[in-house]
Amino acid sequence: MTISLMRLVLSALLGLVLLGAGPGFVTEGRSQGAADIAPAVARFAADSYSDTEAGLAALALSPNPQAAAIVDAVGDGRLMFDPATKTVYVKTKAGGLTDAATGAAVTTAPADLKTVRLNNRVRRAVEAAAGALALASPDAAKRIDAAGAVFKSRDVAALPALDAAIARERDTDVKAALAQARAAIILTKVDAPEAERIAATKLIVDRGDQEALALLAGVPADASPALRTAADAGIEKINRSLAFWNVAQNIWYGLSLGSVLLLAAIGLAITFGVMGVINMAHGEMVMLGAYTTFVVQELIRTKAPYLFDWSLAIALPLAFLFTGLVGIVIERTVIRFLYGRPLETLLATWGISLMLQQATRTIFGPTNKEVGAPSWMSGAFQLGQLSITYNRLCIIIFALGVFFALLVVLKRTSLGLYVRAVTQNRRMAGAMGIRTGRIDALTFGLGSGIAGIAGVALSQIDNVSPNLGQGYIIDSFMVVVFGGVGNLWGTLVAAFSLGIANKLLEPFAGAVLAKIALLVFIILFIQKRPRGLFALKGRAVES
Amino acid sequence: MRGLGIVDRPGAIFLILLVAAAILVPIANLVVPEGSPFHISNYLVPLLGKYLCYALLAVSVDLVWGYCGVLSLGHGAFFALGGYAMGMYLMRQIGARGVYGNPVLPDFMVFLNYKELPWFWYGFDWFPFAMIMALVVPGVLAFAFGWFAFRSRVTGVYLSIITQAMTFALMLAFFRNDMGFGGNNGLTDFKDILGFSISADSTRVTLFVLSAVALAAGYLLCRALVTSKYGKVLVAVRDAESRTRFLGYRVANYKLLAWTVSAMLAGAAGALYVPQVGIINPGEFAPANSIEIVIWVAVGGRGTLVGAALGALIVNAGKTWFTGVLPEAWLFALGALFVLVTLFLPRGVLGLWGSLSARRHKPAPSAVASAKPAE
Amino acid sequence: MLEFLGRTTKGIGALAAAAALAASIGAANAQETIKVGILHSLSGTMAISETTLKNAMLMLIDEQNKKGGVLGKKLEAVVVDPASNWPLFAEKARELITKDKVAVVFGCWTSVSRKSVLPVFKELNSILFYPVQYEGEESERNVFYTGAAPNQQAIPAVDYLAKEEKVERWVLAGTDYVYPRTTNKILEAYLKSKGVKSEDIMINYTPFGQSDWQTIVADIKKFGSAGKKTAVVSTINGDANVPFYKELANQGIKATDIPVVAFSVGEEELAGIDTKPLVGHLAAWNYFMSIKTPENDAFIKQWQTFMKNPKAVTNDPMEAHYIGFNMWVQAVTKAGSVDPDKVIDALPGTKQPNLTGGVSEMLPNHHITKPVFIGEIEDNGQFNVVWKTDNLIPGEAWSKQLEGSKDLVADWVQLKCGNYDSVKKVCLGTATK
Repeated sequence: MTISLMRLVLSALLGLVLLGAGPGFVTEGRSQGAADIAPAVARFAADSYSDTEAGLAALALSPNPQAAAIVDAVGDGRLMFDPATKTVYVKTKAGGLTDAATGAAVTTAPADLKTVRLNNRVRRAVEAAAGALALASPDAAKRIDAAGAVFKSRDVAALPALDAAIARERDTDVKAALAQARAAIILTKVDAPEAERIAATKLIVDRGDQEALALLAGVPADASPALRTAADAGIEKINRSLAFWNVAQNIWYGLSLGSVLLLAAIGLAITFGVMGVINMAHGEMVMLGAYTTFVVQELIRTKAPYLFDWSLAIALPLAFLFTGLVGIVIERTVIRFLYGRPLETLLATWGISLMLQQATRTIFGPTNKEVGAPSWMSGAFQLGQLSITYNRLCIIIFALGVFFALLVVLKRTSLGLYVRAVTQNRRMAGAMGIRTGRIDALTFGLGSGIAGIAGVALSQIDNVSPNLGQGYIIDSFMVVVFGGVGNLWGTLVAAFSLGIANKLLEPFAGAVLAKIALLVFIILFIQKRPRGLFALKGRAVES
Repeated sequence: MRGLGIVDRPGAIFLILLVAAAILVPIANLVVPEGSPFHISNYLVPLLGKYLCYALLAVSVDLVWGYCGVLSLGHGAFFALGGYAMGMYLMRQIGARGVYGNPVLPDFMVFLNYKELPWFWYGFDWFPFAMIMALVVPGVLAFAFGWFAFRSRVTGVYLSIITQAMTFALMLAFFRNDMGFGGNNGLTDFKDILGFSISADSTRVTLFVLSAVALAAGYLLCRALVTSKYGKVLVAVRDAESRTRFLGYRVANYKLLAWTVSAMLAGAAGALYVPQVGIINPGEFAPANSIEIVIWVAVGGRGTLVGAALGALIVNAGKTWFTGVLPEAWLFALGALFVLVTLFLPRGVLGLWGSLSARRHKPAPSAVASAKPAE
Repeated sequence: MLEFLGRTTKGIGALAAAAALAASIGAANAQETIKVGILHSLSGTMAISETTLKNAMLMLIDEQNKKGGVLGKKLEAVVVDPASNWPLFAEKARELITKDKVAVVFGCWTSVSRKSVLPVFKELNSILFYPVQYEGEESERNVFYTGAAPNQQAIPAVDYLAKEEKVERWVLAGTDYVYPRTTNKILEAYLKSKGVKSEDIMINYTPFGQSDWQTIVADIKKFGSAGKKTAVVSTINGDANVPFYKELANQGIKATDIPVVAFSVGEEELAGIDTKPLVGHLAAWNYFMSIKTPENDAFIKQWQTFMKNPKAVTNDPMEAHYIGFNMWVQAVTKAGSVDPDKVIDALPGTKQPNLTGGVSEMLPNHHITKPVFIGEIEDNGQFNVVWKTDNLIPGEAWSKQLEGSKDLVADWVQLKCGNYDSVKKVCLGTATK
């Protein structure tokens, strides 16, 4: 990542030399193959970050097979030492203990073993060392990772190993990655021939991302004019392409924010949009869904850890059922007495929301709860220069999935037909033999249940705390009203257009002003279209 | 009762109680010795004063919601703007007594590196100007907002949501430290008002009496509006807006007047509130606060004015009591209160009183019973 | 008409009687116990942080009572809920002091809540112990600040990053309120004085409860790829931290690339996050739960027993209350009375062993001496202390880095002034009255 790290490793090496490990050690280590790594290993017992770092730097150059194991162990916090005897041990993943220098198993573990401590400096050194060591790994993916690590560390000392790796590499992808890593080293290596450095510039420019930009910007101003020009031209080229990708990225962020808004608002589009209940407890339904996820994960953690990757899938139906049930209870006990008095539902649901918040606080405590991400939802992939994170992608797909599922339920099932009938003309529907009370309860339950599954998704990106719902309630109302009450498509369009507009404004205006601008826009927009984006037509709206 | 003209029976009781409070509280606080069971402590006086400000705010909301059918979820904004006008005056009165000893700039400006007073702070060191601003700023905002909204025939829940958007946008704006209103910390540490120390007992009592007077005046003003011919049309607008329009009334203008007056009353309430609680900050703009105001009105009884004031007193006294007695569970009590009131007292506490007294003296057609808000 | 009057007077009489009754109950109890007010939000947005402090105070009071109380009297906790509502803080403070007649109040978290109650404590001459790290620029006679001032947290953290991580480029990210604003201003001035150029400092403010961090994290990433080692100094407030860290992890920013040092993220906040992707990010505090001392072990054990939760975590503001409460007990014992004036005079100079092996002292400026620790987040939600100051750092009420306050001195022992201008030789504010 930085030049300073390279300096660090170099100085560490120098330190090693001065400290009397001897120049002989380094050169011998390289030439003899199975060299004595004991002096490097001994440094881990010094219990100082600088020594640990120096030890790692020395190991990175060692062909000794034990080196990789030790570097791994440091990174995982499995390298131990005995403060009394200064002997260093590797704790194997299985739990056994081996002598670090020799690799021999140790049967009787000494009493007071201390772990070799890690900090960011050491972690970087581990990454660099592991990178250099993994260049020879038989696994192509690991070699690409290694090339990435070397690219970041720009460790000049890794150059010979890198050259050797390039020479024997057959896989073109890996070879390209290795060549980039080499170019990064050459570019930053002050004493490399100028022509080679300029050639390296080309390779770096082809990479075209922020890292490349950083590297080129790092070329010092007092470098030779030819190199400087090449670097500047490269910077400009990358900047041009990045400007395009920036817009794409903002739109992507907008989609992702839009999907969050959609998720938050979609349940409200039923309870408020379709039923006309000004449902202030909607946010709390989302919160209950998130807490259901927490409870499910907690049970899985203690009872069946192997199911963890499935935890969200298990939580989804449970959250739907639980919040749906809560919704039905609320509808049957309170809201059903208030039909025809929509503004009073505001009062009652506000009261309910206060009680639900406090109940959650009493049961689970006021602090945030940890909801983990399943492994398949973490990480990202590159699409051009666009980095797309799996978890945002999942949320977008999920939001759209929920939306269309809901649309199908309302438009294609008999329940949907009844719901539409009851909300359009309650008495007529009743006269046709529809049990309106039951339909009301089911509709409210459906809206609440959907808010609940939105909570499952939102638990992945936000705090799971009793205040979770409060953060979404206003935005949800804005989305539903902006889209047009009672129109699901309106909610969809409103959510995504507000999300994208917000994200396109944010880079210029900042987060706060962008939000204020959007609110003002909504106020003005409603003047122009007093019934939202997609107004319902017909007499019903005039009532 | 006809003698009082515009005032109905609950209104008369309300006014008498207010006058009694305005006379008795100062006596009980200043004259009655401490230790006597009739002494009202220094803690209670500003608290009661605060309730009266809230009551005035509730009355202003009831004017537009109860009589004109406009459910405002943004009245907290007008209240806060009035409060900020007063807060700015009080800040300027601190003068060189701030911690940095700067004679012109308030403390927060000193540490945010302001070199001079922003233009919108000019004039606020002069009390009459600040007080006019406390009324005019909310009034102008409401007028502009209402002018557009009512002409475009934005009604019902759409109007409610955009009023909420308005107060939310203002809250975000006032939270920004770059706005020059002190950001999240708001305005605080006031010293004196018109030369009187703000923490003196006599100042507190005066502010209390002023609040009571303002509440009575606000009530009478609203009452005068709603009992006039104008008020009859206003109720018509509430109950059947299209029909009123087809009869030839300019509905938007009727609404606009009530809306603007209401915002100015809210501003006045805010201006009285700030010196009594000692702080104004953007939290007052929070949409939840505005929702709560509507709830006071509903608890007391919508469309009665007296009920609104009563609701504000009941809910806030309840809050004070519960947060002290049941700090862990008061939200349950408050939430349950709201649910129960909606379910069992659809016309609020005053509605209950009205129907009880109606049962006692059979022919008592009070204004409460006849004012049936339609949706 | 008469009928109404009759009913009305009856009503007023009943009201007054009720009020008087409430007041007399308060007065009667004050004789038997010493009351300690606890003014922490138990609902609303700040409940998430403050509820723990309320419990910590209850535990400390309980413990003191087991030791026989203070001055032979039992302590009695009076808990109220200011509900994260700033005017309500002032009202509740007034209620605690005048109605409940508490001898001292422990409370507040946000700066605005402290600012809100300040005039009340001054007017009614009572004592407030404020346990949270804050922006400084204040020293009041009635307030004792047991949390860190900026020089006890922010500046050592920046020094550490510059020295140990060789950071040359800085992102100062904070929530838009007075603590981050002031801290960032102090840091900016400090960094510039160390030769950092303006283009190497990026300052970003976000609103409270910010939950969508995609753009800002992307900006930080961009800023960090300019070829110089970059770090984020985060004064992001409680609620917004979880989504912020989740987004960092999402966009693959590891501590080895761009470390984040936070001043508002402690054990309690980490309990709500999956910390695996955060390993190596830093926090600067005056206390960490992971510090091994006999006092700390005992405190943690006591806390977990009190909460009946073997996983309950302790944090820095709790230690601040621990120190503050014990200092108050000492001062009351020394003064032989709970009279505010006597206790205020007795407090400066009080020494109390803290939980990390040192002895904190209450200074004449009403701040205390504290050690500073830098910890790296570990995957178990605890912090691994990677650096600490050699000595305890005295808290500075007025920052040396800020133009407006560099000449100000707070000294309540000699000068009897919280904002003494050492150049003009006057106590600001009061002199011109």
